[in-house]
Amino acid sequence: MLTETLTTEENVIEERVRILGRNRTLEGVLTYPTGRATCSVLIAGPHPFLGGDIRNNVVATLSKSLASQGAVVLTFNYGGVGRSEGGPTDWPAVMSEFWKHGTFKEEQGWAEDTDSAIFALRQWCASPPVLVGYSFGCWTIVNCLRKEKFQSIVLISPNHKQHMFTPLCICSAPLLLIHSDNDFTCSECETKAWFDSVREPKTRIQLPAGEHFFRGHEAEVASTVAKFLWPQDANSEA
Amino acid sequence: MNHKPIDILLTGASGFLGHYILAELLVHPHVRCRVLLRNPVAENLARLERLLIDVGVNLPAMMANKRVTVVQGELPNSLGSLDVDGVDLIIHSAGNTAFNATGSGEPSRTNVDGTRAMLSLATNAGIRRFVYVSTAYVCGEQVGHLPEAFYPTMPPVRNNYERSKWEAEALVWNWSTSTRTATICRPSILFGDSQTGRATTAKGLHLVAKATEILARAANDGSEAHRHHIPLRILGRSDATCNVVPVDWAARQIATITLTSTTEPSVHHITNPDPPTHQEVKEWLEKYFDIAGGQFSDASWPLRDSNHYEDLFYSLGNICLDYFRNGLTFESQCSANIPAGKRLIDQEAFFQSISYAQATNWFRSPYKMNKADDLEQRSDAFSSKWYFESFLPRVVPRSAITRVSELTTIVRYTITGPEGGSWICRFDSGQLKETQAAPSALKPEFEFRLSHEDLVEIAAGRKPMQDIFLSGCAEILGNVEQAMKMVPIIGALLKEFPVTDVENSAVKC
Ligand SMILES: NC(=O)c1ccc[n+]([C@@H]2O[C@H](COP(=O)([O-])OP(=O)(O)OC[C@H]3O[C@@H](n4cnc5c(N)ncnc54)[C@H](OP(=O)(O)O)[C@@H]3O)[C@@H](O)[C@H]2O)c1
Repeated sequence: MLTETLTTEENVIEERVRILGRNRTLEGVLTYPTGRATCSVLIAGPHPFLGGDIRNNVVATLSKSLASQGAVVLTFNYGGVGRSEGGPTDWPAVMSEFWKHGTFKEEQGWAEDTDSAIFALRQWCASPPVLVGYSFGCWTIVNCLRKEKFQSIVLISPNHKQHMFTPLCICSAPLLLIHSDNDFTCSECETKAWFDSVREPKTRIQLPAGEHFFRGHEAEVASTVAKFLWPQDANSEA
Repeated sequence: MNHKPIDILLTGASGFLGHYILAELLVHPHVRCRVLLRNPVAENLARLERLLIDVGVNLPAMMANKRVTVVQGELPNSLGSLDVDGVDLIIHSAGNTAFNATGSGEPSRTNVDGTRAMLSLATNAGIRRFVYVSTAYVCGEQVGHLPEAFYPTMPPVRNNYERSKWEAEALVWNWSTSTRTATICRPSILFGDSQTGRATTAKGLHLVAKATEILARAANDGSEAHRHHIPLRILGRSDATCNVVPVDWAARQIATITLTSTTEPSVHHITNPDPPTHQEVKEWLEKYFDIAGGQFSDASWPLRDSNHYEDLFYSLGNICLDYFRNGLTFESQCSANIPAGKRLIDQEAFFQSISYAQATNWFRSPYKMNKADDLEQRSDAFSSKWYFESFLPRVVPRSAITRVSELTTIVRYTITGPEGGSWICRFDSGQLKETQAAPSALKPEFEFRLSHEDLVEIAAGRKPMQDIFLSGCAEILGNVEQAMKMVPIIGALLKEFPVTDVENSAVKC
């Protein structure tokens, strides 16, 4: 993992990193506190075709916010996005499949990218990471679940109608689901029903606004994740 | 396969069919073309350059590497100093398409005397092959299944144009000897480009559509019931056919026939094996313009006691009689290559070409704007209307979107602000089939709403489309899921074809 410092804010340092993936190098940003770090977090962003990159509003807010509260956060661009190498070669062909089915075979490569990013984060921080997925990123992180230990799993607006989330049962780490009441990908009822079928331990938080994109509600998402990761802080504030 | 270089002299290159033939010839790297242009050559050359841009040919580049050279001349008398040294064959596509005789001796002067002059030029220069672009309607009033053969006696023709084309055919056919080969290509009525609907002049079916538009506008003042009961006599029979072919397809056939070497004189019908009937054309027009009421009639032309609507409809002339004929089919080798079940002109192709015609104000604008009208649109001319009605229909057929074969949807773009408007684009299997300014009968699956300033930023490639939507500057209505998938598709198009040199404008969010 090669690094270059991007910004140093009051209590957070942001570094551009290069993640050596299976057969491509990915662009990533590592954000961490100037003080002692308490945990590590990997954030997988939305679908590359739908604005999924490290600048995404939810991804960027989460990483800064969690880092400022003590987490080492790694975000990354999937293959073919930003400065990450690779990506689908025949764009019109995959776009055609995507248009029809909302998904396509090469997406598996982006799940592998997520795996590479988790591996890179583990090299950096020894503690089991927290995996946070937003939208399509929920599916890529769930695809990386194996017997290894993870501190917890956070799924923000997963499109459980589009992708399979069965690997969730392999991992017993506590699960947090965040969704809004008016997500165009899955209705409130569908999400509740799906959540009921998921294994324990689990928590579901429904935010009263934000649709799928959480425009203007990014801070609420970040504070919900923070409360889940550091419940003791939340209690002491109360 | 390495081909021997071949030098072709092409006449009529600046015409509707001619520039498509030139584009088709230039697809073959071993072909060099000499094009005959009339005076003023510089002006005509600039016009040709603009025409070719639309069909993806960069004329200055072709001229720089000597694939295209220009010779100046005019039929029939100003061919004297023409440089034809090294020319292997001639494609003679120049022609005058006026049906009736004019005071200047047309159409005979260009078509008959001009062809005679071209043949004598070929003879004197020792050119051994002459490809003549005639017309399928050289058949005159004959009916039945017409063979791909020269008609030794002149058929009963309907107008001076047909007469002149047959006389020219006779000259060409008789020029053939054991060492000289004549090839006669007979296209039927040319219609819009099969990919884009593009045409350059309102003739044939486009003229009928234009007349229908006039009618629809007049009927607009009336009630809904009135709109669908327009008292119009349509001269002709419902089962008569209109043998139309897409211009690019016709040009490709002519290029292929030309580049297939032969020493035998031959005649080729470049015709539609499954042409639309009058009835179909009527239904398509009624659907497109949302009108009805016309009835086929065997009344004779000119109409006696015509009503207001008939006066309007026929204000462009007797638009039906000349080429809509019954009981006529053509033998055609080249139409055998059309895949089974595929129609050369179907409702979609028809709609696409009519909407192209409307978007260009019946071929008057903006494709005939200056050179900057190409992909580098100047800032002062940028408008939402131009972007949706002119730019997109022109670039989408050349873009990778055409390979997004599952893309079938109807999108509405609403551009807010004083320079705004609403446009509905219909995509079918990756093809942009039509773009209509609202109101339109097309039902969009989703809608993008954004400001003119944001459109400018997006079009110029200064802001990714995703950012505009994800930042909330723009709104998405309808099926958000499909709309979100459309965003990267348009994003890719914008990368492929950015509108450069667009003035910076403040982005308001
Ligand atoms: N349009 C149809 O539906 C159709 C159907 C069947 C066959 N055809 C045949 O296809 C050929 C092309 O038709 P089109 O529709 O493409 O016609 P067009 O658009 O009017 O083009 C005619 C071409 O011939 C040139 N030309 C005319 N008179 C000339 C003269 N005296 N000397 C030199 N050049 C002259 C024109 O040059 P300028 O640009 O300088 O005017 C132009 O390049 C014609 O032979 C026509 O009979 C047409």
